[in-house]
Amino acid sequence: MEITLGLAALKLVGYGLATFGPGLGIGIACYGCCMATARQPELQGRLFTNFIIGAALAEALGLIGFVLAFIV
Amino acid sequence: MDALAELSKGADHLVHSFDSAYIVGSGAFGLTQYTFWMIICLILTVVVVLVASKRLTLVPNNKFVNMVEYGYQFVRKDMGEDPIGHGYKKHIPFLATLFFFILISNFVGLIPGCKTPTGSISVTWALAIISFVYFNYWGIKTKGGLGYLKSFAPSGLPVVMVPVVWFLELFSTILRALTLAVRLYGNMFAGHMVLGIFGLATSVFITAAIQNADFVMALPAIGWIAFLLCMYALEVLVAFLQAYVFTILSAVYIGLATSDH
Repeated sequence: MEITLGLAALKLVGYGLATFGPGLGIGIACYGCCMATARQPELQGRLFTNFIIGAALAEALGLIGFVLAFIV
Repeated sequence: MDALAELSKGADHLVHSFDSAYIVGSGAFGLTQYTFWMIICLILTVVVVLVASKRLTLVPNNKFVNMVEYGYQFVRKDMGEDPIGHGYKKHIPFLATLFFFILISNFVGLIPGCKTPTGSISVTWALAIISFVYFNYWGIKTKGGLGYLKSFAPSGLPVVMVPVVWFLELFSTILRALTLAVRLYGNMFAGHMVLGIFGLATSVFITAAIQNADFVMALPAIGWIAFLLCMYALEVLVAFLQAYVFTILSAVYIGLATSDH
């Protein structure tokens, strides 16, 4: 059986790979945010803001992968 | 196998139904379905806020007014005061406008038959560029043109590292416009695509069962519709969360641009 990977399929594989890092990164950031909030609930607002900034930075890589899948 | 072939044919049709198409006119004067729903969302936002502000009383006694006031309070406290800090009050009108518009756009898209304006990348690019210009304008206004450019590199770095860090920070600042736009678009578009696929799968399996008068074939449809309901609940959460994330990121960027490190 002959398997051919077209450009469209490769784009999807590339996007899938691109989501791997940001997924891990956001998971770790969320873990840290939850732990810190459990220890010091009164800082919740500022911790959550910092979490959002970090998640946005990590997510940027995944989003670039998403855009590249459209462009290339 | 008949049902699966039907499904992949329907999926093609579904993908094309997300392309923006003219409903009135064409070219520069045309009105695509996304523009049409965007105008409806704008009118809805203005009407909701104006009606609520007309009926403001010292002691809230109206559920609708109470709801809008709660939303405004949420923007003011969680998205204004916490990330921006000192001098947050002059940014509240901008942030509240962004939040209410995106929230109403996202929720309008969840009503079957309606389109979400934020599911089109042109709308989200427009919103992201407005936000990008706004925080750069305030950064330049607070620190001056040269001071704002200098403030990209945090103070206290070794001299050798300053150009490298400055360049990276400049790059990530320019990337903010892209990520704001693509995050909102990607979440709304992908969410609606998933809902569409699940809805399509349900209808395809039920149609196949009716045509063949074979009710065992209808069993997968039960699973699909259960998935559809779960995803719909998730989409309600995502619709709110994306409006929140867009607004709070704009607030954080304003805060970073105007604060002195």
